[in-house]
Amino acid sequence: MALPNPALSQIPTGYKYGWNDPEAKSINIARKGLSADVVEEISRFKGEPEWMMKLRLKAYRHFEARPMPQWGADLSGIDFQDIYYYLAPTDRAFDSWDDVPDYIRRTYDRLGIPEAEKKYLAGVGGQYDSEVVYHNIREDLEKQGVIFLGTDEGLKRYPELFREHFGTVIPANDNKLAALNTAVWSGGSFIYVPKGVHVELPLQAYFRINSENMGQFERTLIIADEGSSVHYVEGCTAPTYSTASLHSAVVEIIVKKGARVRYTTIQNWSQNVYNLVTKRAVAHEDAVMEWVDGNLGSKVTMKYPSIYLLGERAHGEVLSIAFAGDGQHQDAGGKIIHAAPNTTSLITSKSISKGTGRTSYRGLVKVYPGCEKSKSTVRCDALILDEAARSDTYPYMEIDEEDVTIGHEATVSKVGQEQLFYLMSRGLSEAEASAMIVNGFIEPIVKELPMEYAVEMNRLIQLQMEGAVG
Amino acid sequence: MTTATTPMPTAAALDAAAIFRISDLYGEPDWLRELRAAWWERASSTPPPTGQEEEWRRTELAGLPRDGELLSDPPRVQITVSPAAAEAGVTVMDLRDAVRDRPELVRRFLGRGDAQESHAHFWALAQAAWTGGLFCHVPAGVVLDETIVARTELPVGAHTFLPVTLVVAEENSRVTLLEEIVSADGDATWYGGIAEIVAEPASEIRYARLQQLGDAAWNIGAQRVVVGQDAVVTTLDAEVGSRVTKVGLDAQMTGKGGTSALLGLLAAGDDQHIDINAHQDLAADHTTSDLLYLSALYDRARAAFYGVTKVEPRTKQTSSYQECRNLLLSPNAGAEPIPVLEIEANDILRCGHGATAGAIDPVQLFYAQTRGLDHDEAERLIVRGFFEQVVTKVHDETIRSRVLAALARRIGTAEVEA
Repeated sequence: MALPNPALSQIPTGYKYGWNDPEAKSINIARKGLSADVVEEISRFKGEPEWMMKLRLKAYRHFEARPMPQWGADLSGIDFQDIYYYLAPTDRAFDSWDDVPDYIRRTYDRLGIPEAEKKYLAGVGGQYDSEVVYHNIREDLEKQGVIFLGTDEGLKRYPELFREHFGTVIPANDNKLAALNTAVWSGGSFIYVPKGVHVELPLQAYFRINSENMGQFERTLIIADEGSSVHYVEGCTAPTYSTASLHSAVVEIIVKKGARVRYTTIQNWSQNVYNLVTKRAVAHEDAVMEWVDGNLGSKVTMKYPSIYLLGERAHGEVLSIAFAGDGQHQDAGGKIIHAAPNTTSLITSKSISKGTGRTSYRGLVKVYPGCEKSKSTVRCDALILDEAARSDTYPYMEIDEEDVTIGHEATVSKVGQEQLFYLMSRGLSEAEASAMIVNGFIEPIVKELPMEYAVEMNRLIQLQMEGAVG
Repeated sequence: MTTATTPMPTAAALDAAAIFRISDLYGEPDWLRELRAAWWERASSTPPPTGQEEEWRRTELAGLPRDGELLSDPPRVQITVSPAAAEAGVTVMDLRDAVRDRPELVRRFLGRGDAQESHAHFWALAQAAWTGGLFCHVPAGVVLDETIVARTELPVGAHTFLPVTLVVAEENSRVTLLEEIVSADGDATWYGGIAEIVAEPASEIRYARLQQLGDAAWNIGAQRVVVGQDAVVTTLDAEVGSRVTKVGLDAQMTGKGGTSALLGLLAAGDDQHIDINAHQDLAADHTTSDLLYLSALYDRARAAFYGVTKVEPRTKQTSSYQECRNLLLSPNAGAEPIPVLEIEANDILRCGHGATAGAIDPVQLFYAQTRGLDHDEAERLIVRGFFEQVVTKVHDETIRSRVLAALARRIGTAEVEA
């Protein structure tokens, strides 16, 4: 996630993060394409324990066996054999920006990360193509036992904790793309917050794809022990290439009794990236899980952050914002599974489609028998800005318990001519007026973001609006 | 009319020759033989649903009774209509009689429209193999104030019956029609009735369908509504009976300024399974289509609803809403309401949807009980009140009272008028 950075304002319009580092050199370039050999090679290169290699190979067989999803977005542009599955820029992660190779550091400087770290964050991780290049956490948190590492490092240093939880929320055979991630995963964040520890400032990870035809498959595992709390923020960008890149992450979160986790994503991949991500959390008794999911970039996104409410009185929320400009399809949403009594949930979705963009809200609320007194509210609003834009809402509900209150509401509207006229009569250009209306529309979600992200989100929306209206 | 002497095939054994036998049996004109043959061709080339389709995922078709003989000589539809209607030129009769008495009129309208893709197989099957049905035609400018009631009572036995209902209101005409379908409990009937409702410009149609099939019957139906320019169509789908009901509703908003209201009342109990697919296609400017389905679910009943509101590209100022509400009255009842929106135009006046599922608010129940009602009475009153949202939109007294009486079979009679 970039913060307002004076250097960036010199790049005039459009996608601002589309440059690449020409001097980037990978120390290990696996060949393009996927096979059991490539999977084994990745595992061997990482020096992983036997069980992980076996799990990867098992997952690869699941990936091979399953068909591509036939619903949702058009995925026909993905050629699994034309992708690099593993490109490592360095052989280890550094905990000081001074040690990170210059060209990588310059990238993160341009994105504003080191500066943000000083001001707003409790810890930062940076992933560049396949590997985590930087990881640091504030000393006081480390002393309290908070673990914040690259996922590979987590496996090396905390093998038991890791193995106990890895793949328990999203099993290797969950879906085709999750199976792919399990087979070739690399990087991501491994977080453990001990009992009763509250991490007050957000932990942030920044994912950057640099190479062409790259597949990034980070794997994040967050364990919030009883009564703890943490806010994790991720941002993502990539250079603009004419060929397709694939980002297929898996994020697993375990929110134990009375704990609280908020996971915020501002996805701003360049428009050649297929972003197919599986995110799921389990929330135990009295736990609170919140996904804040902003999708602005990518060519195609298919992502439905899920929450399994497993313990009594657990609460889950999904806040989703999607913005689809020309040629983009944001197929986003959320899933809430009520599997215990007295559980509550809220899904709020705001989507905006512009130009030839298409947004789809796709969600599920499921209530199992016996989950009495569960309550769920789903609210979806969509704004369609142009004639060729499209907006869909697919709200699935499966209710197998009587004593519940489940509701879904949605509206779709265009930017009102009267609103536009009023603002323009006050001296705003049409683009400014539209941007202001859009900002008002997404306000309920933006206000949930940390302040600097809210500012950035508004700025990105402004940028997207300028790209086409003007 | 000939009476059946040769046994009719079962649905499982239907073939082109069997379709011709129907025509032979009824002594049908060539155009109708050809029409049936063309639809049979379509039914054969359109495979039945596999269960993988989005619309068919919630209903298992394996149990569909396919071994019942096609009902070859069903009783005539019992029609209640005033002589004045006939004098005004209104034709309302059993479809077989209409083919005999008004062949040119039937020929103009029968078998013209195709169903939505998900229900195309069953639609084509009925178009090819119908052995009964209803024909209702109102000429241009005729405004009929009465309520026509058309009642079909299936004979006892596990039959297959695939009737076709055709309702046509020509320009500036108006008609109100209640169709009732009844069969006995215990018979594993396959009832596959389809209905085509055509509202020509500036006409008004109120069409209600009250389904009271027996507790072992399967109801696999489809209804297509075509709304012309400035026409207004209100349909009420009241599903009370059957073991399994799977109905597809298709509202084609093809005429500028047309309006449709698609209403549904479902009361289901025991092991009933009711699955509705709706499709509201807003294809012309200034069209309005509002759907409202209410289900009261008892015992182990399950109601699925998968509806799609589609706003076609470049349409202007359309207005639509899709609403599905489920009252769960037993811990074992279940609901899957899925109202989908697909919007490909930006100049929309209004588009939205809502879905809910839940039990009766215990506060309401408590309040009613403090007024001296026992639990069951209070529940009945509240269910009746829940249905009121649709009932108040049914302006025809005959339809309202007959539908409520049928629903009372499941929900009981509320002692106090809601």
